[in-house]
Amino acid sequence: MDRIECQWCKAQNEQSRTACNTCGAPLDQRNIVSDSGWTEAPRLRDMTEFRFSNSTCQVEGEIVPVAELALAHGDSVFFEHHVMLWKEPNVPMSALNTGGGMKRSIGGMPHVVSVAHGPGRIAFSRDATGELVVLPLHPGMELDVREHAFLVGSHSINYSFVRIKGLANVLHGGSGMYMDRFVTHQEPGIVILHGYGNVFQKSLQPGEKILVEPGGFLYKDSSVAMNTVQQNIRTGLMRHNMYLAEMVGPGRVGIQSMYVHHGSE
Amino acid sequence: MSTPEGTSHYTCPYCRMDSDGSANSCSSCGAPVDIRLKISHSGWAKQPPIKDMARIRFNRSTCQISGSFVPVAEMNLDGQDSVYFSHHVLLHSDTQVRLEAMKMGGGWNRVLAGMPLIMMQAGGPGHIAFSADHPGETLAIPLKQGQSVDVVEHRFLLATSNVNYQWERSGVWFTTQDGDEQEWHYPIGQMMDRFTAHNAHGLLLLHGPGNTFLRDLDQGQSILVEPGGLIWKDPTVRMHLHFEYPRGQYWFSSARWQAKSMWLRLQGPGRVAIQSVFERPEMVGSVVNSSPATTHYW
Repeated sequence: MDRIECQWCKAQNEQSRTACNTCGAPLDQRNIVSDSGWTEAPRLRDMTEFRFSNSTCQVEGEIVPVAELALAHGDSVFFEHHVMLWKEPNVPMSALNTGGGMKRSIGGMPHVVSVAHGPGRIAFSRDATGELVVLPLHPGMELDVREHAFLVGSHSINYSFVRIKGLANVLHGGSGMYMDRFVTHQEPGIVILHGYGNVFQKSLQPGEKILVEPGGFLYKDSSVAMNTVQQNIRTGLMRHNMYLAEMVGPGRVGIQSMYVHHGSE
Repeated sequence: MSTPEGTSHYTCPYCRMDSDGSANSCSSCGAPVDIRLKISHSGWAKQPPIKDMARIRFNRSTCQISGSFVPVAEMNLDGQDSVYFSHHVLLHSDTQVRLEAMKMGGGWNRVLAGMPLIMMQAGGPGHIAFSADHPGETLAIPLKQGQSVDVVEHRFLLATSNVNYQWERSGVWFTTQDGDEQEWHYPIGQMMDRFTAHNAHGLLLLHGPGNTFLRDLDQGQSILVEPGGLIWKDPTVRMHLHFEYPRGQYWFSSARWQAKSMWLRLQGPGRVAIQSVFERPEMVGSVVNSSPATTHYW
């Protein structure tokens, strides 16, 4: 039987489907790629539904989208507690032991990562115009995400945080002190991010470099190295420094088009 | 707008540049070609959003607009072309693109007026992309040689290097008195940017929060707009403040006290563009002084 491969997550789908069963990307539309190779994250259609583990996720709305999960018994998801929009009263909640509480506080990261357990329904959204980016993770993958950008992750994913290396990266990188790291071991999992504005992704070849506004950085494969490079700008007698994030492949890099500019003084 | 049957001549109704109309979008401003011009009963034409991945051509380079909520303008710069921009709108760049500061005078005045102090220049060859940090539309304004437009501050995204950039006082201000406190207000900002294409055609990109509407004013025709809604205007359009005081039943609801409307009167001839998202200024107290203004008591 012929199958359709999703251009975004590469999952196989039945021919009758119009949206990917794994990430929700429209299957009847081609990837939209700019001249320089940035691919637009797929615009999930209103009420698109996709599956993860034994549960489903339905995406509602387009300007500030909502991810509504129908959790099956035995499934759970973790999230920062302030992104919860509503839930059924019988959905049990617990807290994820993230460790490093003091470091998280210093790094401005949420102290409590909540967990919702199935069965039941629960919905999430962030507070600004943007897009949901659905990133299914195959076993053995590692993904780094800028802090406060992830909406929800499935239970099979190991969640931790890594300190951004290099003092210059921390002070001038505009991405904070820490990044969220999502790792899959034996089982696949799914991470849903909220990108402010529009989201674009580019796959870098080994050694390939690209400069990105630090505030625009959204996610990267952990194989992509991130360095902060300084641009000296002279205006008359005054000298200013502008900092950009240099991404070095191999791997995927995701950026968002709405951000707070952090990188100059 | 029109492409008369049997000819290949097309004049874009939004930027008024000529092309053969064979593409899906205007090659000068990116406006879709295959849609009908929408004009409200009062004469405002809705500027259609530039379609995802539409290309605009300028000099030897192209600009591709991607995204819809907060669009990205991605330039493919030729080795002989360059653009300038305020440094905080840069999103990503190829490593070989030359980035440097643009020489500008009047730094102290710019600081006082809250305008960006640093303007950067990017030279090709290579790709470089820009985006603003608010939901809205990218507006592409191709400028014919010698043509100028006046732009409200903080709307500027980028311009080609052959477009001359000047700024001057907007001349629109008023002061209010509330008790012993006196406050200065600049409803459209202290400064206004003027962009002029000198030696050749140029391209100017602006970011308009919300939706954008265009209108042509005839000689002497005037319209009142919310000052925060103005994006750009032809230099021939004059502007001044207009205060309206609605009639109140009691002294405390009367207008002299606080109930007043403040407008920007735009007077033709020329073209104006407004945005649907704006910040309404807080105005407490009585107006005690202002730039030239008209007043109406109802």
